[in-house]
Amino acid sequence: MIVIDRVCKSKSRTQILREVSFEARPGRVTGFLGPNGAGKTSTLRVLLGLDRAASGTALVNGRPYAGWPRPLTTVGAALDGSGAHRARSARAHLRWVATSNGLPLSRADEVLDLVGLTGDARKRAGKFSLGMSRRLGLAAALLGDPPVLVLDEPVNGLDPAGIRWMRDFLRRSAAEGRTVLLSSHLMGELAEIADDVVVIDKGSVVARGTLAEVTGEHSTLEDAFFALTGEVERPWS
Amino acid sequence: MVLTIRAELRKLLGLPTARVGVILGVLIAPLLVTVNAPATRESIADGTLGDPTDLGFRNLGIGLLGALILGVVSVSSEYTSTGDDSPGARQLTATLTAVPHRIRLLTAKATALVLVVAAQGLITAAATLALTEVVHGDAVPAPSAARVAGAILYWVLITLLAFAITLIARNGVITLTVLILNSSVVSVSYLLYKVTPLAAYLPDIVGPHMFIRSMDLSVRIPPVTAGLVMTAWVAAFLILAAWLFQRRDT
Ligand SMILES: Nc1ncnc2c1ncn2[C@@H]1O[C@H](COP(=O)(O)OP(=O)(O)O)[C@@H](O)[C@H]1O
Ligand SMILES: [Mg+2]
Repeated sequence: MIVIDRVCKSKSRTQILREVSFEARPGRVTGFLGPNGAGKTSTLRVLLGLDRAASGTALVNGRPYAGWPRPLTTVGAALDGSGAHRARSARAHLRWVATSNGLPLSRADEVLDLVGLTGDARKRAGKFSLGMSRRLGLAAALLGDPPVLVLDEPVNGLDPAGIRWMRDFLRRSAAEGRTVLLSSHLMGELAEIADDVVVIDKGSVVARGTLAEVTGEHSTLEDAFFALTGEVERPWS
Repeated sequence: MVLTIRAELRKLLGLPTARVGVILGVLIAPLLVTVNAPATRESIADGTLGDPTDLGFRNLGIGLLGALILGVVSVSSEYTSTGDDSPGARQLTATLTAVPHRIRLLTAKATALVLVVAAQGLITAAATLALTEVVHGDAVPAPSAARVAGAILYWVLITLLAFAITLIARNGVITLTVLILNSSVVSVSYLLYKVTPLAAYLPDIVGPHMFIRSMDLSVRIPPVTAGLVMTAWVAAFLILAAWLFQRRDT
């Protein structure tokens, strides 16, 4: 369970998050939807304690992220990139992460297998393609077999087979009872996997509810999104 | 905490650059003793060497470069971009996700670094002094254990200084350039010393008083005072770095 309550944040004197509040519940995939620059990544970084909020709280299973002594056993998170130093092999990266949270080193090979990177375990992370980096980031998130997953734009850079794999994986995780929160600017993609949707625009949450509730009388989530955000479709951009 | 230290050790020693630092640090000083042996014999013969017990220590000072690299890389590796696909992504994200308590993280990082560098300093000092003994025999008397300890302490403190400066700058290139230029090409500290004798208490000048006897300075600072002053400098830099790290977004 993730509870974000009236989070505000400014950067370079502009307010980028205005009283952002929403919840992500266990057993459901919550899609965090918004155009580029809406504040999705910023919200997730506050949730993970990477950036500090000016006010408001963000709790994971009742505690701030930094309050968990071995956080990887509670929350698995993957943001931009793999997080692995480019000179390190995928396995070496996962091993130090496992060590830091008291997980057995054998978990490294297990999660590499889970994301289909077994053959690339000894390859340096700097030589990974965008899709492979995303998989490695996901592998690190899965090390502690956490009940909560937080993923920023997880399908970015994946090929069609990868996108399909990710969709199945996320649905399966929610079916197992996990809390799954993922951000995306791709409405079509989100409409396929999300149970609940939170729409953010210019730092404010403009809609939240089940997929059906947010879609409302519009024929698709995409139509609802443009109506909510007032974004005009510019075919030339 | 033990887990975090173990993870930081694994992380540091897994980096190719850090391994270069370990090897350079151990090899440079003994190599210099050997290469400089003929020139050193001449200066011992014509009496221009100064205090001969300083000899091994002077060579040790250059091996410090290896330790400096370790101090810098321990932090700079967190801030370098992890790939061209996502220029903003850095290892620090993975690090703080795994260990969100920032002061605990820094303490573990510094401890891992001190363990590696102290071991490196010990091995290098033993090898360099033993080799000096073999090459020059009785012409160079063996230094006291206290001076050897002072040299290793200096080695560790300078590394922590590099660690702190890199954390403040969030960039390793700046730290390495400043520290290497200052110790090899022009010493800003020595230039300042020409202006005011107080500059003798700057960290890179005061530190060597712990183990070098014939410094080219008119001020003489006792080894223990030197050690305390240098430790205070390093502590101040570490506290400033930790305070910034604690407040900053990443
Ligand atoms: N370091 C920064 N300095 C100033 N503005 C920033 C910084 N990082 C992000 N922003 C701004 O914050 C807003 C939200 O960004 P972000 O959370 O990355 O959006 P999203 O992930 O939804 O695309 C954007 O307008 C962006 O320009
Ligand atoms: Mg984003």
